[in-house]
Amino acid sequence: MRDQRRKDAVWRFLTYAFVITMVVVMMVPLYWMLVAATLPQEQFLQFPPRLIPGTAFLDNFAALQERLDFVRTIRNSVFIAVVYTLLSLVLCSMGGFAFAKYEFKYKEPIFYTILATLVLPIQLLVIPLFLLMAQLDWTNTFRAIILPWAANPIGIFLMRQNMKSIPDALLESARMDGATEFQIFYRIALPTMRSSLAALAIILFLFQWDLFLYPLVILESADMYTIPIGLAQLTGFQRIYYDQIMVAATLAIVPMVVLFLVLQKQFVSGILAGSLKE
Amino acid sequence: MSGINITELDKVYDSGTENVVAVESLSVDIDHGEFLVLVGPSGCGKSTTLRCLAGLEDATAGTIRFDGEDVTEYRASERDVAMVFQNYALYPHMTVRGNIGFGLKLSTKLTGDEIEAKVEDVAEMLGIRELLDEKPKALSGGQQQRVALGRAIVREPSVFLMDEPLSNLDAKLRSEMRTELQELQADLDVTTVYVTHDQTEAMAMGDRIAVMDGGVLQQVGSPEEVYRSPVNRFVADFIGSPSINLLTADVEDGTLAGPGGFAYELDDSEPVDGHERVSVGVRPEDIEVVESGRNAADVTVVEPMGNENFLYMEIGGHELTARVSPTVRPAEGSQVAFDFDEAALYLFDVETGDALKTKTDSVDSAVVGTTQN
Repeated sequence: MRDQRRKDAVWRFLTYAFVITMVVVMMVPLYWMLVAATLPQEQFLQFPPRLIPGTAFLDNFAALQERLDFVRTIRNSVFIAVVYTLLSLVLCSMGGFAFAKYEFKYKEPIFYTILATLVLPIQLLVIPLFLLMAQLDWTNTFRAIILPWAANPIGIFLMRQNMKSIPDALLESARMDGATEFQIFYRIALPTMRSSLAALAIILFLFQWDLFLYPLVILESADMYTIPIGLAQLTGFQRIYYDQIMVAATLAIVPMVVLFLVLQKQFVSGILAGSLKE
Repeated sequence: MSGINITELDKVYDSGTENVVAVESLSVDIDHGEFLVLVGPSGCGKSTTLRCLAGLEDATAGTIRFDGEDVTEYRASERDVAMVFQNYALYPHMTVRGNIGFGLKLSTKLTGDEIEAKVEDVAEMLGIRELLDEKPKALSGGQQQRVALGRAIVREPSVFLMDEPLSNLDAKLRSEMRTELQELQADLDVTTVYVTHDQTEAMAMGDRIAVMDGGVLQQVGSPEEVYRSPVNRFVADFIGSPSINLLTADVEDGTLAGPGGFAYELDDSEPVDGHERVSVGVRPEDIEVVESGRNAADVTVVEPMGNENFLYMEIGGHELTARVSPTVRPAEGSQVAFDFDEAALYLFDVETGDALKTKTDSVDSAVVGTTQN
């Protein structure tokens, strides 16, 4: 009995120790980024490093804004990511719904073909996509960044898996109630999928937010730059503007944090609870 | 309200490699306002038939008519039918009010206020008015069941289809809802097709019962008719609780000789003429325990029910159930003699299972004429 208690206590200690270590490992760089954004460049490079926030944030930001219109860069990124996320949510949920709930010819081959495109790395697609966009005369446009990825295979796969859990009786019931197939989709299926849609929204937003190589190839003028490209511009040949990079990086995570906080309350489980008597 | 005519309905599922016949040339006519129960073991095609009526499945062949109008090719929403699902299928993100009103909102031109009034009326009728603003997950099973019913009733359809709507309720609630549902159906006078695997429910609720097995309609008739005059061994076995006692016997000069020394001399041997072996059926309530007789069985279990006793016996390795008065209570392990009236005897062809003779003992009420297919 006492041995068991001791064993439990040891296990608990080890578990906490592990979790705390992981948290520290993950949080330290983030904290360092926040601190560094408030320090002038000289203090950033001193050793031992200064771990207390300074007061130079606004100065650093002003310098950043002067070198590169970073407010505009953020606006570009937000615009692209928001439009992309909304469009992709619509397409992925419709695709997922079709694959989950309808029977049609060649359904399986089509689905697995879509899945198979997951193994293609972006690096492989960049050149062909660039050539395609050039032919369409779409280079240096946002639509060239948004549209090629709009029907996202991960999104379609995720929505298909989740929508399979919607009971057929629920859809049939709506069909009997006189709903059209599209009404069944957006009035019954989508509302029951709220938490999955929220999760997918974050995945899609993050995907577009982090996209670097492809926009770098497509976007030519500085006024079109997204955050990852903007950040890359701050690493010059002669000098790396750490202070400005840290300010930019700090600002870059703000929209993600906001999005996460907004969608967090959608992650409540059991949206489907109570629809069916098991 | 409308009558339903189903003619030669076939439903075949193509699973890619083989065809599965779910329903085979099913024909039945259902009258205006009738309560027809489709009953049978699982996989017998009863639910498929219902889904074909609903328009949720396409018929492979055959026609379905509502009030003379061919609706076979109509979509579910065009058929003016409402369905209650086994698991209720309530919309989880809508309130009770939203659930009941959803169909009206989509398929009628009623204004919001008119829909509201209808929803309130139906909720009042079902006693769920105070639940109108709850979400389904906050409701008990019985309440969810009522909401599902409300959703069907509010549209005032010409046909109700119910797919085992009571099977998820506990026993007490089930029998309450059974009565309520019958009263409701009688009040609304809407043609109803009700699917169940529970023969007790079928007997209790149906104006007529349609017994199905293996995708084929076996018999349609009043509860009494399918009980007393089953067309074959399957129907006799399926209808009645506890089940009919069945054993195989040789026919020897008008005498039935079965396992364990079972012997029964027929007064009228005409039904077994030309048969060497027959299936013999006796309902548990027709078996009497007697002082002495030709047949004897070993009592294995006695189940006292209060108002009656069930005796489980064995004769030549065959189980035999008797439903006797509570005063008859032989010791377990003892041997009792039993007998039954020839009028209560069922005889079936041993190969085909077709009925050769069914109950001929008198009943007070007239038996409705057969409408079997």
